[in-house]
Amino acid sequence: MIHHLVLTLEQRPEVLERVLRVTRHRGFRVCDMRLSEQEDKRLLLDMAVDSDKAIELLSRQLDKLMDVSTCVVQGQQSMACTING
Amino acid sequence: MEQGQTISGSQAVIKVLAAHGVTTVFGYPGGAIMPIYDALYGSSVEHLLCRHEQGAGFAAVGYARSSGKTGVCFATSGPGATNLITALADAMMDSIPLVAITGQVATPVIGTDAFQEMDVLGMSLSCTKHSFMVATADELVPTLYHAFEIAASGRPGPVLVDIPKDIQLAQLEYKTPLQAVPDEPALDIAAISAANALLAQAKQPVLYVGGGVGMAGAVEPLRELSQRTGIPSVATLKGLGAVAYAAPGYLGMLGMHGNQAANHAVQQADLLLVVGARFDDRVTGKLDTFAPHAKVIHLDIDAAEQGKLRQPDVAISDDLCDVLPALTLTQDISSWQQQVAALKLQYAWRYDRPGAQIYAPALLKQLADSLPEDSVVSCDVGQHQMWVAQHMWFRRPEDHLSSAGFGTMGFGLPAAVGAQVARPGATVVAVSGDGSFMMNVQELTTIKRRRLPLKILLLDNQKLGMVKQWQQLFFEERYSETDLSDNPDFITLASAFDIPGRSISKAAEVSAALEEMLTSKGPFLLHVQIDDKFNVWPLVPPGASNSDMIEEVEIQQ
Repeated sequence: MIHHLVLTLEQRPEVLERVLRVTRHRGFRVCDMRLSEQEDKRLLLDMAVDSDKAIELLSRQLDKLMDVSTCVVQGQQSMACTING
Repeated sequence: MEQGQTISGSQAVIKVLAAHGVTTVFGYPGGAIMPIYDALYGSSVEHLLCRHEQGAGFAAVGYARSSGKTGVCFATSGPGATNLITALADAMMDSIPLVAITGQVATPVIGTDAFQEMDVLGMSLSCTKHSFMVATADELVPTLYHAFEIAASGRPGPVLVDIPKDIQLAQLEYKTPLQAVPDEPALDIAAISAANALLAQAKQPVLYVGGGVGMAGAVEPLRELSQRTGIPSVATLKGLGAVAYAAPGYLGMLGMHGNQAANHAVQQADLLLVVGARFDDRVTGKLDTFAPHAKVIHLDIDAAEQGKLRQPDVAISDDLCDVLPALTLTQDISSWQQQVAALKLQYAWRYDRPGAQIYAPALLKQLADSLPEDSVVSCDVGQHQMWVAQHMWFRRPEDHLSSAGFGTMGFGLPAAVGAQVARPGATVVAVSGDGSFMMNVQELTTIKRRRLPLKILLLDNQKLGMVKQWQQLFFEERYSETDLSDNPDFITLASAFDIPGRSISKAAEVSAALEEMLTSKGPFLLHVQIDDKFNVWPLVPPGASNSDMIEEVEIQQ
């Protein structure tokens, strides 16, 4: 299932590594990714990921990262039906 | 030094440590961190030289776990930093507040494969809560302040700060950074009401207590809740010591090697009140059959843990100290309490094993009963670790140090070193197995150097016992590389480090030997030869439900 995430990131050299590492480790495959720098120098990352797992399993882990200011799941649905795979 | 004074980066590091109340750091010097070691010389911060960076990391973990403070360790670049990685991963899995400071090669040569260069920031991404590489001298002090704040706040964890050598040597103006005071989050009243509504309906509730209770400083509110409601309770490996051991409905540890009464009660529960625990696979067994009839109230400071493995009916991420007093139970659960009491009686541990050989569980029970009030038990990993969890009892969570999530052999001895430094007046016992002990045996020198009075209880079956047990049960008794009969003479080994010891092999020798160990003024090694046929029971086989525990089976050898 394809999920869309929009993240606001602090401008740190390693921030993309952090996001992509967590995404891979939690079992999500990146399908599409667009990165842009905003006027306030923070980064806007628009990312589509694919997995059968509930998107909250990823979004909450990304939200925990210190360099991730916001993490919004677009078109979010309840995870209750998918949480246990 | 005054605010605004110009000092070197390395002096600033020591100043930040002192500002955070750090009195002891654990580490090992090397080329890229020499300026910091130079600043350390003669400073107010004590340094404990361990003999391997992994030992230093675990000593800092033991210090943190036994004291509730943030542990600090130092290592140099390259191999020094990579040697720390296992301890960082251990701290990550068990949510231990740790600040690791590593030296890095100078900024102009980063990326050139310079001598002892390694991308430590990159390596640390998966085993730290956060990590920094300091890019400029101006960033140094704010970064260190931020590191301490991150390590101890929310769900605690390890933070790495990698400092290039030229930044350690650079001159900077020392200024204490302004720190934002976080707003007090409002208590989630709606969620607490929902939790109380579930509690009001529950006929067979169980408190499932994890390490988060101790980390949150919520032992007293938890005990008050347990006493006020009478809800039967079970604990994870890291949760041991949180519930009062003698509480009537307390059933001990649950999970793969949990008490059968604990597992049966959880399986029969209609409501699990999960407090600071995370449904670890060693706890749940086959997840979809874990507490199959139970609704779940999940209290955890880390919202990412809620729903990660088991979807809760109510999830609360507020401070446990605020939430626990607000929970109530209105239902009469006396019938359930009686059922639990019957389970507790039915599955009580037995120590009346015949024969002259030393039965480790009985020895450990006797040790627990003999320890003074201020005591710490630090475990390694393996069969002895599970016997400690099953058969010893602890007054507080910080009295029991065990590598839970990462299961790191070699943890016990250096963690005990850290605990003894943190609590110098305490009786600290490192319980180890012959396999684990050899993993960080070099730290005997650290004990010798400081004449730390810690006691080492070494349970020796000349086997890699837990792996051997699985080979017996699940690998057709094909004992691949688990024979350790070429162990050294441990008493001779200890004596090389000026640590006296005694070796025993008969049950009749246990009482006198324990007394000798506990009353000795300095360090002591008690080497206990146990029968290699003893295994850890019960056991939930991999992939099985916690209902399907294997009880003791005779193994023919």
